[in-house]
Amino acid sequence: MAEDPSRQQDDELIARTQAGDPSAFDDLFRKYSQRLYGLVYNMTSNHEDTNDLLQDIWAKAYRSINGFRGQSSFYTWIHSIAVNMSINFLKKRGRRHHMSLDDVDSGIQNDKEFIELTATSTPVREANLGELQKRLNEAMQKLSPEHRAVVTMFDIQGMPHAEISKILGISEGTVRSRLFYAHRQLQNFLSEFLD
Amino acid sequence: MTEEQLKTLLRTVKRYEQPPSEYFDQLLRDLHRRQRAELLRRPLWRIAVERVQTFFGEHSMSPVSYASAMATVVVVGVAAIGVAVPSKFEFHAPAASLAKNTPSQPRFTLQPSGQATASFSPQLPAAVFPTRETPPAQVPPRYIIDARPVLYDNPSTSF
Repeated sequence: MAEDPSRQQDDELIARTQAGDPSAFDDLFRKYSQRLYGLVYNMTSNHEDTNDLLQDIWAKAYRSINGFRGQSSFYTWIHSIAVNMSINFLKKRGRRHHMSLDDVDSGIQNDKEFIELTATSTPVREANLGELQKRLNEAMQKLSPEHRAVVTMFDIQGMPHAEISKILGISEGTVRSRLFYAHRQLQNFLSEFLD
Repeated sequence: MTEEQLKTLLRTVKRYEQPPSEYFDQLLRDLHRRQRAELLRRPLWRIAVERVQTFFGEHSMSPVSYASAMATVVVVGVAAIGVAVPSKFEFHAPAASLAKNTPSQPRFTLQPSGQATASFSPQLPAAVFPTRETPPAQVPPRYIIDARPVLYDNPSTSF
């Protein structure tokens, strides 16, 4: 089987970084920052916390990259660092926080999936978009950090169960059961607003 | 709300929650600034270790020779410290001072009942007591007897 070209490219960038070329690490940063932003932001629902955490995550990755031996892909490795640091941060932060949300782009109004959803769900159609975003984030924040991580990676980032289980170091069965429980919780939280 | 509708809602709304496009360039600049600041705050020992590693790395030594070179450095370092600071390992206490050290000697006292007892000073240094002998040429030890000898004519105990 041919090797994944993305992984091959990552391996080259890692080898160059380990040999002392910091610009190769910048390329890894550019490649994965957007995805990591989505992961951390959806776990914290706070832009400033996400900004601080992303710097910590990349700084830690840079310090540890000499110990990276390629047993997993860089993608899995950096996501593991991000999830673990975010969960630790959320446990320390506790419930004392405020949401600082990024603006929902106006493009959502033309999103095919969103249009189909509003056609099938009257409450969603009638809800104010800003209010909908706020309620959705509030519901996410009511989940435990572990459940939020699974929902973020599976529902929002579209990762397969197997990848999530590698990142979190748990079985696929546990990933599925956490998802099931989290969906139930989210449906309950949102039903007050949308039903 | 069904599970499918929930999934679609999450996917669509969250997909559009994004920072401005220039955000990631700024984040990279902030990371560079932070890494430079961390470099300045690094402890000296870590810089020294890195320089040694770089030195050996540049000379493309095998791991075995790297390890033996490090072991040699450690052995030479320890030997150099031993030569430079020999006095730390010598015992300087003169023998005569032991004899003058009266609290370390047995002290005989007489109890009111007339029974002789021996007691040792509580500050007795444990390392000195069992191992050192007083040389005869030095000041002889002095035994202090605080009271009169026991009178055998008139024993204090009776049966």
